[in-house]
Amino acid sequence: MGTEGELFERRVTRRRALQIAAAAGGTVLLAGRASAADAARLHMGAETGALQVLDWAGYGNDGGQAMFAQYVKQHPHNKPQFTYMTNESDALAKIHAGLKPDLFRPYVGWVEYFATSGLVQPWDTSLIPNFKHLNPFMVKAGQYGGKQYGIPDDWGFDAILYRSDKVKPKSNSWGLLYDERYKGKIAWYDDPVENLTIAGLLFGFKDPWNQTDAELAQSQKFLISKKHLVRTIWASETDLDQQFASGDIWIALAWPNDWVQMRAKKFPVIYMHPSVGKQKPIAWVGMFMLLQGTPRPHLAHAYVNAWSSAKSAKWLEDNYGYGHANTLARPSSSDLLRALQLTNPRAVTLPNAYLDRNVPRRALYAKLWEEVKAA
Amino acid sequence: MLALFSGPHGFTLSAWHDFFHSSIYLGLFWKSVKMSLIVSALVVLAAYPLAYYLALSGTKRKYVLLLVLIAPFLTSYLLRVLAWKVILGDEGVINSFLFWTGLRSSGHPISALLYSRFAVMLVLGYVWLPFVALPIFVSLESLDTRLLEAASDLGASRLQAFRRITLPLSFPGVVAAFLFVFIPTVGEFITPSLVGGTSGYMYGNQIVDLFGTGFPDWETGSVLALFLLGVIAALTAVFSRFLQVRGATG
Repeated sequence: MGTEGELFERRVTRRRALQIAAAAGGTVLLAGRASAADAARLHMGAETGALQVLDWAGYGNDGGQAMFAQYVKQHPHNKPQFTYMTNESDALAKIHAGLKPDLFRPYVGWVEYFATSGLVQPWDTSLIPNFKHLNPFMVKAGQYGGKQYGIPDDWGFDAILYRSDKVKPKSNSWGLLYDERYKGKIAWYDDPVENLTIAGLLFGFKDPWNQTDAELAQSQKFLISKKHLVRTIWASETDLDQQFASGDIWIALAWPNDWVQMRAKKFPVIYMHPSVGKQKPIAWVGMFMLLQGTPRPHLAHAYVNAWSSAKSAKWLEDNYGYGHANTLARPSSSDLLRALQLTNPRAVTLPNAYLDRNVPRRALYAKLWEEVKAA
Repeated sequence: MLALFSGPHGFTLSAWHDFFHSSIYLGLFWKSVKMSLIVSALVVLAAYPLAYYLALSGTKRKYVLLLVLIAPFLTSYLLRVLAWKVILGDEGVINSFLFWTGLRSSGHPISALLYSRFAVMLVLGYVWLPFVALPIFVSLESLDTRLLEAASDLGASRLQAFRRITLPLSFPGVVAAFLFVFIPTVGEFITPSLVGGTSGYMYGNQIVDLFGTGFPDWETGSVLALFLLGVIAALTAVFSRFLQVRGATG
């Protein structure tokens, strides 16, 4: 972990720098020795404007306020301003297009990609008091080259949600997404990697995240041959929930929150974890990342600290049905506790699930997926 | 030239080669062209009688009716498109009515109404109808009605007068209206993304997706966009000769 000076390429005016230096000097005189927390507070005072957060729908002012309420209370003049992303590829496109968020949230499979991209910088975990409560396995998954590029918070699964009154699966298999009996009632998720990976899992390929050319061709051909069964390819969770609730869709690749939302609306739904043979659900862990050159690094740390608190974690579990990396949190519902296996610190990995991982040939996967959509 | 095409790949026509040898992208293009042609033709057929009535029926309320026709444009485009989801869904207005009347058994809705090519064409037709009616209305309203009176005096039936006078003189308006719909709809991407599902996915969606992801395929995206531009320009050039008013007798 580097020093703060090395970590943050702060863009402050000379005048502002002198003000900070004078304030810091005053603190030293008064207190004898400024702690890291004091220094951080001073820096935060120097950071201005709204904190720019690039995050997923549902995690901003559209329902996720409880997750960062502590931050807003502490920094009422730097409230977060959100831009929404539909997936990491979309976030990357927005950043390339000129968006300048202070922090954003890709998932665990993208840690290596972003850590080596030059777009992000490591966190200073000493500025995140709640960091010590986070699941060590997930914390390790957020590291690259010994540095903490991702702060884990939310986690969950990609699995299959279906209407139990309409759908009778032959087995607990990813094959339900390609079941001819339910033509026109199936939804896939619009992600450049996910669908080819699931096809690879179905075929039992050695490494679905790094398929050979022949395997990729087979996966793509399979998806094209099954696309006629699919009614929609969803990019927004709101769209998926609306399609499910209106009866247009009975089967979908979905997240635990969709299961919670549908249950709240009294729909008979089952969230099926594929388990036939070597099949497993795909697990993900959200990783907050700090953008390189952000002008508000300390505010970003404070924001992530709020997200990482046990109170926020419990709220996330109770209301969204996702797990949280804070090991102190427990949901109110024992159903959810069992479903997410929250007492298992390694619930996101084998033998429970395949943890999402780096995809060395992401661009090729993206190209092939676009062809599937166009076919 | 080298300065213009610097970069890791340099100048290459390989993307064009791939495009012309790709059954996927060309197939998607023809699918979109067919959908747009159908929409444009049907909308012109539907709009012509409307415009004819408004322009030539002699009603005093024609401008009020014209306002009614374009009134939906005072509301949000997204709202109008999303309203169709409520109407066309599996448990929407139409299917619920069919269940209620017993014309369809409950649990067997007409799924092709939404998230389909039909849904895209229906919504596009609805959205573009006023745009089609307006140029036809203008061309019909500027028609010299003395020609119709002369034709009547000379013994022409109303159908003959329409075929030999009204239609040829309003033809530029019809062509303009057709192009008004065809050009934007062939590259349309918002409506298909809202009501098209997988089967209503169009060429415009593919261009957006090729540019708009974190791993953009700019070469293929550019080729698709330029090809569309070329085709539209050529079609406009061909059709523009029909935009000149010609003699009533042709």
